[in-house]
Amino acid sequence: MVTIYVIDNGGQWTHREWRVLKYLDVETKIVPNTAAFSDVSDVDGVVLSGGAPRIGIETSLGNCREYLEKATYPILGICAGHQFMARFFGGDAAPSKVPEFGKIELSRIKDDDLLFQGVPKTSIVWESHNDEVTKVPDDFEILAESENCHVQAMQHKTRMLFGLQFHPEVEHTEYGEQIFKNFVKICEK
Amino acid sequence: MFDAEEFIEKATKKVKEEVKGRALIAFSGGVDSSVCAALVNKAISDKLIAIHVDTGFMRKGEPEQVKALMKKLGLNYRFVDASKEFYDELAGIEDPERKRKIIGEKFIRVFEKVAKEEQIKYLVQGTIAPDWIESGDDLRDTIKSHHNVGGLPDKMNLTLVEPLYDLYKDEVRKVARALKVTVSERQPFPGPGLAIRIIGEATAERAELVRNACDIVEKEIEVAAKKGEMDLPWQYFAVLIPIKTVGVHGDKRAYGHTIAIRAVQSVDAMTCSYSDIPHHVIDTISSKITNIMGEKVNRIVYDVTNKPPSTIEWE
Repeated sequence: MVTIYVIDNGGQWTHREWRVLKYLDVETKIVPNTAAFSDVSDVDGVVLSGGAPRIGIETSLGNCREYLEKATYPILGICAGHQFMARFFGGDAAPSKVPEFGKIELSRIKDDDLLFQGVPKTSIVWESHNDEVTKVPDDFEILAESENCHVQAMQHKTRMLFGLQFHPEVEHTEYGEQIFKNFVKICEK
Repeated sequence: MFDAEEFIEKATKKVKEEVKGRALIAFSGGVDSSVCAALVNKAISDKLIAIHVDTGFMRKGEPEQVKALMKKLGLNYRFVDASKEFYDELAGIEDPERKRKIIGEKFIRVFEKVAKEEQIKYLVQGTIAPDWIESGDDLRDTIKSHHNVGGLPDKMNLTLVEPLYDLYKDEVRKVARALKVTVSERQPFPGPGLAIRIIGEATAERAELVRNACDIVEKEIEVAAKKGEMDLPWQYFAVLIPIKTVGVHGDKRAYGHTIAIRAVQSVDAMTCSYSDIPHHVIDTISSKITNIMGEKVNRIVYDVTNKPPSTIEWE
């Protein structure tokens, strides 16, 4: 059985991430972002959850820095987790010119990436963000965008590290479960 | 996937371990508290007493329905009419968070009184995941203080037992079906009731207005859904907006309140999209409400926001 923990950065939908993983028969639990790396080292992957407003651009986001430094397993950053990942690898995040809330159309940019396998070129996703990634780190490439947010999804060029601005864990995101299934598959490898 | 039978087995076992002696259950008559009552009744049977508080902010005919339901579930029960106390405590209060906290505390004080009389230590609540998530904590922002979590007073003399803590509404309904609880498909209704469907001060008079409006919205939508003209929304109700706008009634100037119709599609209350109600159904609701309410209400609007950016209830 594959084990994926959810790092809780204080998001409204952290518990939803846990639920989606549980429904996919993943061994999972919610871990506060203050946990030591040793508590999240014996897993096949982690999800860095979203968090309260501004947390992704202003604070250190608990011990997320340490997880990103030390982990060799796949990591999926969502919303604040995604913004923090971008900053950690030398990119940047800042307040959005047009924040997005609720229903948005997502467009995939690449067609062969692992995370979006089985997801159509355009689909409906649910958003809830005031900030966004404004500079993609050199080692990353953009996977998807929306009308008002250029970096909706990104992936490290050589490692299994992914960031999503939208929320695949909520019921209203059309292909959210598919994206999680793909991430679980990536963690199984 | 979620396995209701497995959940019932584990939860019943846990309740047996947790509750030493008799317990009180806060029973609103909704899906969460009914499932919780059936579950705990299974675990400790005659040691459970259900208590229903009439806050004065219940829907039309609800107190009678709840009494009948408590009988049907075979519960030992107490029915407390505290409507006057709730109206008094909420007089002059407009802030939604203060309203929710006053209501949360009032509930607990009523429960404590009964618990003292009956020498009971435990309070069972049908708290589910969105209640504590949205109430906030050290890490999470407070979206709204749910009366049973964020609305609890700092000091209380009861030990909480919350068997449904990690579940969402769709999962609670699965447990309800497995336990054959008849209200399994009932639409959600918040603990603070109509008090948070009145923007601003929640008075007895305004409660009566929004109660009648909710009744019309519920009936018309249910009729349309039954006829196959629309899907039954996940939740559907009316909200009283106490701002006044100008109308014309029988060649005379009218100056009355506004009612908003709210209907949403959801699975777990954590996200929602507004429902696609056919225009002729909205039209019927609009005519009925404005005609029945006379000079009190002369404008109807339809809420077309999703969650986020809005929430399902307005407060």
